[in-house]
Amino acid sequence: MKQLRGMRELSTVAILIAEVLFFAWYLWPESGRAHPFLNAENAVLILKYSSIYGIAAVGAAVIIICGGIDLSPGAVIALAGVVTGHLFVVDHWGLAPSAAAGIFAGVAAGLVTSVLVVVVKLPPFIATLGVMGITRGLAFIITEGQYYDVSSRLGAGFRPLGLPADWLAPIVMFAMAIVFQLLMTKFQWGRAVFSIGGNETAALFSGIAIGRVKSSVYVAGAALASIAGVVLVVVQGQGKADLATGYELDIIASAVVGGASLAGGRGSVMGAVLGTLIFGVLRNALPQIPGATFYDRLIVGLVVIAIVVADQLLLKRGSKS
Amino acid sequence: MIRRSSAFLLLSIFTVACGSGGFGVACGTAGPAPGPATPAKLRFAIIPKALDIPVFNYAKLGAERAAAEFGDVEVLWSAPVSADQLKQKEILESYITQRIDGIAISALNGDFLTETINRAIDAGIPVTTWDSDAPKSKRIAFYGVDDLASGRILGEQAITLLNGTGKVAVISSFGATNLQNRLNGVKAALARAPGIQIVEIYDIQEDAIRCAEIIATGTRRYPDLAAWISVGGWPVFTRNALAAVDPSKTKVISFDTISPALDLLREGKVQVLLGQKYFGWGSESVRLLRDITKGQRPASAIIDSGVDVVTRETVDAYEQQWKKMAGQ
Repeated sequence: MKQLRGMRELSTVAILIAEVLFFAWYLWPESGRAHPFLNAENAVLILKYSSIYGIAAVGAAVIIICGGIDLSPGAVIALAGVVTGHLFVVDHWGLAPSAAAGIFAGVAAGLVTSVLVVVVKLPPFIATLGVMGITRGLAFIITEGQYYDVSSRLGAGFRPLGLPADWLAPIVMFAMAIVFQLLMTKFQWGRAVFSIGGNETAALFSGIAIGRVKSSVYVAGAALASIAGVVLVVVQGQGKADLATGYELDIIASAVVGGASLAGGRGSVMGAVLGTLIFGVLRNALPQIPGATFYDRLIVGLVVIAIVVADQLLLKRGSKS
Repeated sequence: MIRRSSAFLLLSIFTVACGSGGFGVACGTAGPAPGPATPAKLRFAIIPKALDIPVFNYAKLGAERAAAEFGDVEVLWSAPVSADQLKQKEILESYITQRIDGIAISALNGDFLTETINRAIDAGIPVTTWDSDAPKSKRIAFYGVDDLASGRILGEQAITLLNGTGKVAVISSFGATNLQNRLNGVKAALARAPGIQIVEIYDIQEDAIRCAEIIATGTRRYPDLAAWISVGGWPVFTRNALAAVDPSKTKVISFDTISPALDLLREGKVQVLLGQKYFGWGSESVRLLRDITKGQRPASAIIDSGVDVVTRETVDAYEQQWKKMAGQ
């Protein structure tokens, strides 16, 4: 199984490289022009925007591996951003306590989800659908249709941790990915998550505290989504209730493309990050091709299906050998 | 084997999309250029608020027609599929990294884009705005309606239709600077008619379906409503959005004149429409950017396109003029 996971991540890397090479060739500039796609500034841009999805996709992957699903990360991103923006701009809190409160709001949403899934026994799809509506609704109630101009208080040339603002989101994404990759592969908690997703009954008989692990998974997912929301507000300079609307499907798709099986028990955190980069490259490159912008969603859909089909082939082959 | 098959599948998708000519460019033009050829065309990015807003199709037509007439311009038309200010900002930033020759954008949220537009200008990329401005930015020019004035026209038309008395509900979408200015214009005009009361201002979030739902619920909530005033074209983008409205009791004054708005006007569902210079959003943006790249800056940073006030009496003449511009 470990070997299978490694192969799956390698195949995602191969797809990402193939995609980059394809667009590097397709967008090759006319003589005298700089390459519009293959340059360092563009790479930072892809990382910056992919990271908002990527941070949340780390949580989505963990939840999917555990056999669940979470439809609320887009709304949690918005709520965390709005709470941070409100406290920072309106109530003049410092940035750190505002950010901490934003993350706490997300964690609270995760706790509500875990109660609904573990205690009330609602299917995760329904529970997180409800939490999605509640959190998005709270964000609109807080803002009343307005937005919080965080950038005006941060000031021009704001450098979080002394680094360019554009680097913040990728750094946080990779840090979270490394932390959760270690948790999932080197700690008992990660093994329990895989066990529950693979066979919940077997996990129960082997002594795993199913409810506790499931709760922690939904809280972790919401915490990661709220971190994405705080990073979004700090980097983009605005807290608004309609930010990240519909992102949950892109976040889930990234985790699935990265190898997470919706049947549970399989997947990888690093794969989810690679999945967001695959979509990030598509979002970046397609607008550079005249007429291609209308094909964006179609291609994303085809890519998801193609990669999942390849994943199934991989699984069949692995189970035979 | 499997790794190869995954990569092959992905490449196949790109290749099929490309080979089908779906992107509107021949694949043979891709890849390294064989050597010096004709002078490179100016590449202008024209960015509407979203791809799913019908009025912008005419801006696209206008931009492509202007580009074809000039012959030395290539238009890159790109936007989020539906209104998403973060994705619009991402697209704008990607064009800055591409060092494109010019950008014309209809800002979903002008303040949100201000810093990015300034970065483009600082990088030597001319930026203009159209339809929806980013007035705090360093953009070189804005082409579009004077939103405050056109909002006042909406309000004044309502006062005339209602003889100065009645309850009105206003439809808007919060966040966009241009729509906020129109809303301010409506409020300013109606403030001069003490007999008119604004009972509700609805935020339909740039969503025509949500707009239809709000009109239905609002009509039930306020059975004595005298008029709906819409600062955008959402009520007239579909035939059914105004189904709940009884024209004998409630008048409709709306922005935008694209199909089926003119039919709704003829049928009496709508009484007044304000038409914008849809084709001009694209064609004037291309012309402006081309002039700027050649060193000619516009005399004024605000270029007021004006609006057409269309009523049942003027609708036929307006439609004829429209068809001529659309090449129909």
